[in-house]
Amino acid sequence: MSAATTATATADIVSNVWKLVTEVGAQVREGDILAVLESMKMELPVHAPATGTVAEVLVAEGQIVQEGDALVVIATQDEAPAAV
Amino acid sequence: MTQLDVSAPDPAAGAATQAARPHHRDVLAQRRADRTARVEPRGRRQHTARERAHLLVDEGTFVEISPLRTAGPSSGSGVVIGWGLVGGRPVVVASHDAAVASGAIGAVFAETVQRAQRIAIDRGHPIVYINDSGGARIHDGIHALHGCGGIFANNVEASRKIPQISLILGPCAGAAAYSPALTDWTIMVKEQGQMFLTGPEIVRAATGEDATADEIGGSGMHTRTSGVAHLEVDDEQAALDAARGILSFLPSRVGGAQVLVEPVPARPEAVARLPHVVPDKSSIVFDMHEVLDGVLDDRPRLELSPAHAPSVLTVLAHLDGRPVGIVANQPRARGGILDAKASVKASRFVDFCARYGLPVLTFVDVPGFLPGTVEEGRGVITQGATMLRAYVEAQSPVLTVVVRKAYGGAYIAMGSRSLGADFTWAWSGSEIAVMGPGGAVALLHRRALKDAEDPDTLRDELAAEYRENVARPYLAAEAGILDDVIVPEETRERMVQALGVLAPRAEGSRA
Repeated sequence: MSAATTATATADIVSNVWKLVTEVGAQVREGDILAVLESMKMELPVHAPATGTVAEVLVAEGQIVQEGDALVVIATQDEAPAAV
Repeated sequence: MTQLDVSAPDPAAGAATQAARPHHRDVLAQRRADRTARVEPRGRRQHTARERAHLLVDEGTFVEISPLRTAGPSSGSGVVIGWGLVGGRPVVVASHDAAVASGAIGAVFAETVQRAQRIAIDRGHPIVYINDSGGARIHDGIHALHGCGGIFANNVEASRKIPQISLILGPCAGAAAYSPALTDWTIMVKEQGQMFLTGPEIVRAATGEDATADEIGGSGMHTRTSGVAHLEVDDEQAALDAARGILSFLPSRVGGAQVLVEPVPARPEAVARLPHVVPDKSSIVFDMHEVLDGVLDDRPRLELSPAHAPSVLTVLAHLDGRPVGIVANQPRARGGILDAKASVKASRFVDFCARYGLPVLTFVDVPGFLPGTVEEGRGVITQGATMLRAYVEAQSPVLTVVVRKAYGGAYIAMGSRSLGADFTWAWSGSEIAVMGPGGAVALLHRRALKDAEDPDTLRDELAAEYRENVARPYLAAEAGILDDVIVPEETRERMVQALGVLAPRAEGSRA
């Protein structure tokens, strides 16, 4: 049994988490919008880096994040964790 | 690869000539065979140094210089030099031979590279360095370092005169890593090329940091994070093709003739879409490439540093058959902001285009310079200033169009009239102001907003009023800071017309 593989969406700019549009357990496809950051008066969508299931949401709306901060962890579909 | 046949002609043809003594020819044939014998490339390498040189240039045009040069009884110089044609024009090549002492740079190696550099510099041809070297040859001691320094000095001299392109097709470590950094563009092959001052073992010994060679100096590190390299490609042929691609946009030397091609219009679907690309709401992102599609010739473009500081695009392209350099904000990446890294990327590109006479076309949609402790700590003031200097110093035509918004210092930095742009335009829906409506209203109406019963509504009203009355481009056009306010579909024609007066085609040029 292989360990779960994950992909993490990160903030690419210092910003405010304006909207979260996903939740733990949601199925997402690569490129789907997971959150919208607000910085420099711009609405900056955060896209899913891979197809899979949202395993963790690490931030809350209104939170300030720095460049590189992890936002959402996705368990990729091919090697999702086996049911316990 | 074909070896020239040097076997003796018919001895009966002239008994008193050297041809009658086939021994000389046998010796020569043997020497050539020894020096150019193919050694199977190791690791991920796909071709030998000599094969790479041949594959870079137009088929059958590579001419090797000093193939018998050697650093030892059986070694060769460690680098294959020569020239060939790229797109029909001479280009000098220096290709490190990893089969000779792992491509280590000794005194003879360095002399050989310098000889190639001298020919390129003195005769005005581009030079391509195919790097695959473990660094200085320790056995040669200080002579190796002296040789490396000589290569660097030539790199610097060449940088004012001829295009230099570096391909990283293996390790490029220690002293060897500085030469690419002094050239114009560096192309790395994924999971094969590495650039670093020292590899993992010495890093661990020096600082305790535990990192892989790829983490320290792989193509991902250098084309995304550090910006040391500008293109990441999948294999050797792609790297060689990319070098040819860059050269196709460039004159052979500073002051050389531009490489004109047949003008072709922008792609019709992109032209039709152009008025619909920019969202009305200034906070919504879009893809600036769609704007470029609707303006530039429908020919392949070459984007440099696509993954590093992606909020600014730097692209080689054609407009009306002329090679041009594009600097553009990319709203889709980090909102199109300017920051320290984006400023360095843009200024370096503007310097490069200007040096080779390529017009700089600037497409602006910039929310500003990114503020804050991180950027100030990176020296954004100094780095941002490099953009100002680059535009002011640019001697080639500079054309600038604001497609949506240009605020504050970032407005100035993006090829503004005040920095010497030859012609500037703004699309009719755009905003140009000292700051964005939100910030301006907060400053200008602080008291009224504080006293208001419903400050949010008042702020929105005042912001809308500011956007329409202050930030629209007409004030700038009336003041002569913009040459005109235009609609998107007029952009191409205005730019083509402007180049017609700024850089008329030479009479008799083919396009």
